[in-house]
This record gives sequence, structure tokens and C-alpha cells, in this order.
Amino acid sequence: MALFVAGLSHRNAPVELREQLAVDEDKLRELLRDVAATGVVREALILSTCNRVEVYAIADVPGEARTATFRQLCRHRGVEPASVETVLYTHADGEAVRHTFRVASSLDSMMIGEPQILGQVKDAFALAQSCETVGPALHTLFTQAFTVAKKVRTETEIARHAVSVSFAAVELAKKIFAGLDGKAVLLVGAGKMSELAARHLIEQGAFPLYVANRTWARAQELARALAGTAVPFDELATALATVDIVITSTGAPEPVIRREFVQPLVHSRRGRPLFFIDIAVPRDVEDSVNTLDGVYCYDIDDLKQVVDANIRERLREAHRAEALVEREVAKFLARLGDVEVIPTIVSLRERLEIIRSGEVKRTLARLPGATPETREAIEALSAAIVNKILHAPITKLRESSRAGSPRSWLELVHELFGLGRK
Amino acid sequence: MHQTLLTLAIIGYVAATGLALTYLVQRDELLHRLASLATLAAWVLHTGALIARAIELGRPPLASLPEAVSVAVWVVVLLEMWLERRYGLQVLGAFVLPVALAFSLQSTPMRPLIEPALSGAWVWVHIGLALVGIAAFVFNFAGALMYLLQERQLRAKRPGALYYTLPALATLDRLTYRTLALGFPFLTTGLLLGVIWAGAAWGSVFTFDPLALSSYVAWAVYAATLAGRAAGGWHGRRAAYFAIVGFVALVLTLGAGLLFPGKHAG
Repeated sequence: MALFVAGLSHRNAPVELREQLAVDEDKLRELLRDVAATGVVREALILSTCNRVEVYAIADVPGEARTATFRQLCRHRGVEPASVETVLYTHADGEAVRHTFRVASSLDSMMIGEPQILGQVKDAFALAQSCETVGPALHTLFTQAFTVAKKVRTETEIARHAVSVSFAAVELAKKIFAGLDGKAVLLVGAGKMSELAARHLIEQGAFPLYVANRTWARAQELARALAGTAVPFDELATALATVDIVITSTGAPEPVIRREFVQPLVHSRRGRPLFFIDIAVPRDVEDSVNTLDGVYCYDIDDLKQVVDANIRERLREAHRAEALVEREVAKFLARLGDVEVIPTIVSLRERLEIIRSGEVKRTLARLPGATPETREAIEALSAAIVNKILHAPITKLRESSRAGSPRSWLELVHELFGLGRK
Repeated sequence: MHQTLLTLAIIGYVAATGLALTYLVQRDELLHRLASLATLAAWVLHTGALIARAIELGRPPLASLPEAVSVAVWVVVLLEMWLERRYGLQVLGAFVLPVALAFSLQSTPMRPLIEPALSGAWVWVHIGLALVGIAAFVFNFAGALMYLLQERQLRAKRPGALYYTLPALATLDRLTYRTLALGFPFLTTGLLLGVIWAGAAWGSVFTFDPLALSSYVAWAVYAATLAGRAAGGWHGRRAAYFAIVGFVALVLTLGAGLLFPGKHAG
């Protein structure tokens, strides 16, 4: 009986194949039942997302189970099994545990640290549970995987920094203003990305919101959509004096925010910083604005640069996360192995203790004149012999369980010492 | 006893400073934990050293300037640990501990005790108030330094290690303003008491004493910053530069008191 993971992911399979194989929830139930019905797997779970299709299973003969499962999958999806076989990867035992932990922790994702995968794994687990294909082994594995994923998320920063331009802008705003509560935002021009950035800012507590646009109707429309106030485009300078964050995205060929508009504001703002997020190309904010005291201006390239730095940051953190997962895998395997062999070790010790104490009792009964020292020595001698004899089999049992194949050893020990049926 | 403990404490502060500075660049959580542990251990040893000193002397170890500086370091480290935990400012140690270490190195060569020229309750109040002021200005300085570094990062638009570890500009600006507003009254009252007392004890307010003179300079810089902040709308970079200048004057003040002969030395 062994654990294995088999599947394909964004790492080795083209998107065309992945989308062909991806299974929706209803089909997944059907598939799981069919796989279980073949009888080749004891437990099974199927994870199907747009980036991976994987089977996690416990089977007596993993190779056979893998082939049978994917044949079922291909039949369901109408895919030629040969095309899948070539890209399929398989992880067994310890490797499979590591893979499970890495997938749940978002270390195997296309964008490391993306938060969706954990939810997808949880859904797959719940679905398999409802189909009753999850047994004790997968249950232990996946509950531990969820714990590890949570640990990775809280103890490393793989998911901390923004990897999209609009979120990077929000993060920058936080680095300037600390909290965004009550920070006024001005949208100049309307565009999808600036609207998105504005929404993120509002979610973080930014308020109120003003919208300026050359087309008055468009300004009003956007202001309504975002629960803000429309301001006339030629009153831009007045609006600038009161707001903290300005998002610009006009189609103007020349900068609409000039240094001479902003410079007089620096003094009157009495130290309140002003942050320009310039998403427009060509840019809306004159370059030299960034040099003014307390004024920060990020254009689209600057934001992309921040995103790149954040991605590097995630990869850096991924190293720490990998080390953490590695430790967790070792711990899990050790625990799992011990759990399996501990009952046998305990009954082995009990068995020999019964023999030892019985024999000692009989011997002492035949030695009525023995001094307490002699009695003690006999006890110690017998205990030492038992321990020496037990040492090798117990070590072997633990080792075999850590290597993932304790079964034959367990049987052998039961047989040799007459421990009865396991 | 006291000297041994103090030496151990300083070794601890050296380790803590090294770890905190490495954490600033490496950002490994483990380093931060080790730095916190080293800080705590060194601080406990320092506490022991101060208690041993107090028992040895039969009075609080505050009568000479090196003693007072040592107590100031003790207060600063205590505040550092508290603020770091309270506000989640994990990088604070990297900015405060080097200063604390420099001060405590200054205060080690405890000269053979000269019966302090100062006496009376006024003196204790004078020293105590100046001490709280100095502690506040250590954080004022650390805040200003962090502000300038973070400001540079944001302006350069190339996020480096410091961009991620340093807090927001607004937080740092608030920290420098608050520590200034807190430290200034203490420094002022401490100085005033010193002046009044000096007038009575030394016969003149303007006797040549290097510490007294440079402390007036530091006071003037801080007074100007506070006025600028409160009335002139100073903020951010300018306020930070002034905080640094003020702190340099304050360090010179203490340096003068520790190194040059004068009425505070001993």
C-alpha cells in the first residue's frame, strides 16, 4: 500500500492539453466514483484547476492504479491516452508528501504565493470526502498539508507583496501614508486600470473620491459607479490642493499635471504628502513633479519596476518556504512511520516482558536463600538481555517505516515473535 | 561584580547590534529573534550591573555622567524592546542599538569614583529629566534616520531591502514629531534646573563647562525644529535633517562631558 501523486501541470504540459483534461465539479464526482469502482485504488482525490490535473491516491500497486486512473480520465474527457502518458509525472511516498505540501502552499504555482490554490485543494478534498474516496491516509496527509500551507503563509512573505500594478500602487500609498483611512483620492481621466486602482484604494479606506474628466458626462458616470464626486476638468488645480492621492490616466498628448500647478501646493499642504499614480501613456504628470518636497510620482514603468521587485521578493521568500516545507515533510514522514510501527513495538516489548518477569519469578522461587543483591542482579541481568535482543528489531522497524516500507517487516516481526494478528 | 556584568552586557549589546543590522539587510525572521534574545539578555545583565553598582555605592548610580549615560542606555534599550513589540517595528533595533552601544562603550571606563561635586535633590531631578530627554531623542534620531532612508527608497523608485522593512513615511514622521514633543520639555526643564543650580553652586551660569555649553546648542536646534514643526508646517525631510543635527549636538554634549575636563566629568 503506497501513496502516489500523478498528473500534469503548467510545468510540463501545454495549456491545450490542460484545458482538455480539466474536469468540472459534477464530472469530477462521476470520475472519482468510476476510479473507485475499478478497485485499483484504496483512496483517491482529484485536483483539477486551470494549471494542473492531478490524482492523489493510495494503492497497493501504484503503477497499475495510475494507468487505470488516467485511462478513466481520458475516457471521460475524450482525450487520447497516449498523448497524456508522455507528459505525466509521478511522485511516490516521501516525494508525494512533499509535492502535496508544495502544491497546497502555493510553491508549485505559476505565480508563487498566489492565494487561490489552497482553496482549490480544500475544495477537491471536500469533494473527495463527499464521494467517500478519502480514507485515513489521505485525510492525515491533506489536513497536514493545510496546516503547512497556513504556516508557510504566516511565517514567510511569499504572498505578502503585490504582483499586479494596481495593488503595487496601493502598497506604495501605504508606504507613504501608513493607513489610507480618510485619504482623499482624485481620478483624472477614466480607464479600466485607474478605476481598478481607485477601487483598491477605497477598499483600504480611502475617502472621499473625486473624478475629473474632459467629458463631463463620463466623469459623472464614473463618480456614480465609485460613489464619488465629479469635478469640472478646469478646476483640477483646486481639487489638487485638497486630495492626497491622484490617479491619472487621460489620453492627453501633453502632461496635464504641470510642475507649476503642484509647486504652490507644497507649502499650503503643510507637510501632507501628495502621491501621483500616473498610469497614462504618454504620461500625464510632468517628470519634475517628483522632485518637489513631499510629492511622489510613479508612472506605469515605475510601478512595473516595483512589481518586478516584489516578484523577486516572493522568489527570495520561496527559498525559505521550501526549507520550511522540507522540515515539515521530514516531520510528517517520521510521525507517520512511527504511528504505523509503534503498536508493534509496544506489543513486542510487552510480550518479552511477560516472558522475562515469568522466568525471573520461577528462578527466584527456586532460590529461597538469595540475598536482595542477588535478586536485584538477576532482575537487571534479565532486563539487559531483553533490551539487547530487542534493540535490533526495533531499530529495523523504525528505519523501515521511515523508508516507507514497514509492511513486510511488521509482518515478519509478528510472525517471529508470535504477536498474533496485527 | 559590577564591572564583569557590565562587560558581559556590552558584549551582549555588540551581538544584538550585529544581529539587528544583519536582519535589516537579510530580513531573516530567525535573525530578528536572535537579535531580540541577545538584546533582552544584555539588558538583564545591564540591570544586574546597575543594581550591583547601586549596592556598591549605597546610592543610585546617577551622580556622575558616565553613570547617568549608562542608565540612559538602560532606559533606551528597555523602550526599544517595548516599542518594537508594541508597534511591530522589527527594524527599530537596527537603528537604536548602535546608538545605545556607542553610548555604553563611552560609559564603560568608569573612573575611580570621585565624591560627586553635586548633591541635593535638585541634582537628581536635573539628571533624571535630562536622561528621559536623551532617551526620547535617541528615538527621535532613529526615526529621522529611518525616514530619510525610506524617503530615498520611495523617490528612487527602486525598492530595495529597506523599502520592505522600513515602516511608512507617515509613521516615521509621527515618531520623530512625538519623540521631539516628548523629549523637549524634559530636556528644557533638565537644562533650566541645571542652569539654576549652576548659578547657585558654581557662582555663575556661564562658567566654562563643555557639557553645559554644547547642551545649549542642542537645545537651540531642537527648539528651532519644534517651532518649525508646530508653527511653520515643517515636516518630513527638513524636520528629519534637523533631528539629526540636534542629535549630533546632543552626542557632542555627552562626548564633551565624558572626554573633556569640566564640572560634569568624574
